[in-house]
Amino acid sequence: MPGAPVLDEIKIIIEDIGKGGGKEPPSGGDGGGDGEKHGRPGPPSPRRYYTGIALGIVSILMFFMALASAYLVQRATSNRWVPVHLPAILWANTMILLASSATMEQARKRLSRADLSGFRTLWLVTTMLGLAFLAGQLVAWRLLVAQGIYVSTNQGSSFFYIFTAVHGVHLLGGISALIYVSRRNFETAKVSLSIAADVTSYYWHFMDGLWLFLLALLYLGK
Amino acid sequence: MVTHDNGGTAPEEHATSFLGRTFWNTDHKVIGLNYLWLALISVFLGMALSLLMRIHLVWPGAHLPFVSRLGNTPEHYAALTMLHGSLMIFIVLTAAPQAGFGNYFLPLQIGAREMAFPTLNLLSFWATVASLLGITTAFFLPAESGLKLWVVSVSLFCVASLLSALNFSVTAIDLRTKGMTLPRMPLTVWAWFLTAILGTLIFSILLAACALLLSDRVVGTHFFTVPQALVGSMPFSTPQRIPLLWQRLFWFFAQAEVYVAMLPCLGITSHLLSTFARKPVWALRAVVLALGGVGLFGFCIWGYHMFESGLNPHVPLVFASLAESLGLPAVILLASWLGTLWKGKIRLTTAMLFAIGFISLFISGGLSGLFLARHDLALVAVSDEFVTGHFHLVMGVAATFAILGALFFWFPKMFGRRLNETQGKLHFWLTFAGVYCVFMPMHWLGLIAHSRAAGGNPVASAATVRNFITGATIVTIAAQGIFLFNFLWSVWRGAKDNEKNPWRATTLEWSTASPTPFDNFGAAEPVVHRGAYEYGVSDSAEDFVPQHLAPEQAPEKIAEQGR
Repeated sequence: MPGAPVLDEIKIIIEDIGKGGGKEPPSGGDGGGDGEKHGRPGPPSPRRYYTGIALGIVSILMFFMALASAYLVQRATSNRWVPVHLPAILWANTMILLASSATMEQARKRLSRADLSGFRTLWLVTTMLGLAFLAGQLVAWRLLVAQGIYVSTNQGSSFFYIFTAVHGVHLLGGISALIYVSRRNFETAKVSLSIAADVTSYYWHFMDGLWLFLLALLYLGK
Repeated sequence: MVTHDNGGTAPEEHATSFLGRTFWNTDHKVIGLNYLWLALISVFLGMALSLLMRIHLVWPGAHLPFVSRLGNTPEHYAALTMLHGSLMIFIVLTAAPQAGFGNYFLPLQIGAREMAFPTLNLLSFWATVASLLGITTAFFLPAESGLKLWVVSVSLFCVASLLSALNFSVTAIDLRTKGMTLPRMPLTVWAWFLTAILGTLIFSILLAACALLLSDRVVGTHFFTVPQALVGSMPFSTPQRIPLLWQRLFWFFAQAEVYVAMLPCLGITSHLLSTFARKPVWALRAVVLALGGVGLFGFCIWGYHMFESGLNPHVPLVFASLAESLGLPAVILLASWLGTLWKGKIRLTTAMLFAIGFISLFISGGLSGLFLARHDLALVAVSDEFVTGHFHLVMGVAATFAILGALFFWFPKMFGRRLNETQGKLHFWLTFAGVYCVFMPMHWLGLIAHSRAAGGNPVASAATVRNFITGATIVTIAAQGIFLFNFLWSVWRGAKDNEKNPWRATTLEWSTASPTPFDNFGAAEPVVHRGAYEYGVSDSAEDFVPQHLAPEQAPEKIAEQGR
């Protein structure tokens, strides 16, 4: 049966396309350095960074959903619930964070047009806006403390502080990524600048959306 | 042509010092082995604790090394239980089958050279070590600070597990070699992958619960109104005092956590049965679906731990139905195992014995699960000891059997030596008989606790049974000495076996040298041409066709059959 092996090969190829199994052909550019160490085969596909950040986002979302469900349950069942009056500066902070997402998109647009200096400037602006947001959140805490509302004052205030703190910590991770992208010399890195910028931006926009969700939760929980 | 890293038994190393090679190595194989060593230490520590508990139950006045020094109070007994549980659940049952064997063999079985993020992998390992140290240290501290440290350690374990799960998922999705399509993935890989997905979802929830708990304890918030009741979340104290919110979050995690521990074991069992029965896995695709089903149902049935906590009366019904529908994937798996064994050319190696032992324990433990899934029955008919017997059989011991089976199976690949089969079989039979003698009577104790029609004196007969359990525990734990000796001896002194494929198995790890060289597959990229379970092939010299065998190399009839 001389024809059978050929058929088999074709089947394999079809499956490869259909199921996305296995590696893409080695794409030039990214990686480098790793290749010689392993001999002939190149480094693993850069697709792993995108899959990684997608799964990471799902996982972080689960974390915040657990907190949010705790909030909703306590809110609904507690008979001594005291709502927190959100300081007005939160709205300004939200605007700043939204603006940072916009500048980040602009930066990536510059990068895709190979305008590296434009990218760096806008990237820096994004980082600054992120830091400004965090500073604003700290101001919001100070304002609440000035009113005598501490983290342990009541359940409402506890949730407010926990939400903002945990979101802030995650955002700090995003700011570290932003700084990493602007500081790292990508000639020697395993990952290319564009992939690093992509992955960072997905995370950043997610943090942005997450803040809107938390804010809505706190606002509607009043 | 690159030859320098194609070194067979003399793998190229990152660093030359022992410390660098062993502890700072990002190689997935070294990390996998380190996880296994960690689990070995923890399992013996955990067993010693269970021995202390059993002895304390039967002879409360006896002078014991730990318990006596700590003052024989109920709190210390609860702390002992908590340490036993934390070690066994987190470091042994969660880490060994997934992070231990998974780290070592997931990349090998899919033809990859590394995990997707090797440095992250090393970080997960060290976070796990730190959490083990923290959990153990917490036991020796005063209750208040001890619990704080425990919560921090468990949070750390959550982070480690999340990073590890992320790594596993990405590796399984993106690092498969050419030709390794989803239908061709070995069931072990499926199980590790599904476990990783489940882990990504649930460890976040435990992390969130721990964050809230920690803020209660450190900054004085009131998320859980009775925070000190954490001690009481162990099965031996009254459940009514545990805050409802904690119960929700905790059980959401904990019920799924059972399946995080069990899924890799289910995959390993299917894999071993097929290899040693020399037959393809029966109903392979149904098994993959069933593994997914176990994960999905496991994610949805958390509520059935809360029948006593005053939920809406309709809620238990929903959860009970969901919990009972877990029987569906379980039955599919069971049918597949029996179907695989049916008329197989069964080779009763120690690994196979442990796999069959797993089935036995899975059935026994699963059956008592049916009683517990019915909320009405669970409420009135059984008490804590029934639950203890149930989950130790189905989760603790069954999973341990799968881990041991996997160890006997993969030992030649990991160390280039063999475990002693005679000692292995002796250890198997003693353990098999022992665990039934320990945990079956617990079911009975749980049943008579609520018995109103018992003639005679149930308390007196219960005492006899407790004595029997303690005796059986001592014998069973003593039998583990055989295993420990066999293992340690074989790692350094065992019979050399550098054969590539001693079990005549099909998957990719057996296509490379034993022990596995540093770069896994040498210079050539492995290519997969067929499914993972082509056993029982009649017209060739061997009765199996390995996955990497190209169609033109295979006998004609096999080439015709295709996948």
